Amino acid sequence: MSKRLTFIIDKPLHGDIRTQEFLDAILMAAVFDQQVTVVFLGDGVYAIKQHQKPYALDMKNSLPVFDTLPVYDINDVVVEQESLGERGLTVEQLQIPLTVLSREKLSQQMAMADHIFSF
Amino acid sequence: MKISIQVNASPFQYQASDSAWQFVRAAMAGGHEIFRVFFYHDGVYNAVRDARPPSDERNIVQRWSTLNAEQGVDLVVCVSSAQRRGMLESSVAHKVGGYEDAVADGFRIAGLGLWMEAVIESDRHIIFGAPS
Repeated sequence: MSKRLTFIIDKPLHGDIRTQEFLDAILMAAVFDQQVTVVFLGDGVYAIKQHQKPYALDMKNSLPVFDTLPVYDINDVVVEQESLGERGLTVEQLQIPLTVLSREKLSQQMAMADHIFSF
Repeated sequence: MKISIQVNASPFQYQASDSAWQFVRAAMAGGHEIFRVFFYHDGVYNAVRDARPPSDERNIVQRWSTLNAEQGVDLVVCVSSAQRRGMLESSVAHKVGGYEDAVADGFRIAGLGLWMEAVIESDRHIIFGAPS
C-alpha cells in the first residue's frame, strides 16, 4: 500500500543529530515505495543552504544526502517562500532543486497527506 | 482504529513519554489497537534497563515493560539511534565487548523497516516529541 507521507524539516542540518536521523527515516519511507514529500520550513531552510563547512565543528557533512533524493525517487521537495524571505535567503542559495510554495499553498498541500512527520 | 506510536524524546526530562504512555492506555481502554510503539532519537532512553528514579516517582521504563508484559504491546527501539547512544543489542554488545543488558525487558531492538511497517499498517501514526 502506498501512502502520501509528508516530512517536515524545520531545524538546521548540523548541531542536532535528529536532522540526520530524520533523513534516514525519509529514505526508508522511499525504500518502502511510499509517496514522499519533503518540506523545508522555518530554520529548516538552513539545512540545505550551500557552502556549509560542518567539518569546522567536527561534524560529518550530511548535505550530500539531499543530492541523493532523486535516486530514491523523492522528487517532491518543497520550501516555504515565507521561511526563505524571513531569513533573507533566496532559492538560488540552496543546494538542491525544489519547488517554492507560499504558506497558504503549502498548507493546502499538506492537508492532502495521509501522515505528517516532524521531529 | 489501528494506531502506531512514536516516541522521540528521552523520559523524565520531557513529558513526551508520559503523554505517550497515557495515550496508549486510553486508546486501548477505548477499544483501539496499538500496532506498535517505536522509540526513535533520544526516545531510545525509554528502554534503559538500569534507570532508577527515586522510589516515590513513576518508573517510566518499568511502566513500558509492564505494558508489554500485561498487554503485549510491541515496543521497538531503533537500532541505529540506540547504538549511537550506547544501547547495544546483546549480539552486537557481545561482539564489540559492550554492556549486554542495556535494554529493559519487553523492548526489542530493530531497524526503521519496522517503523515504516507500522506507519503503513496503521490508520493513525502519532508522534510524541520534545520541544525544539
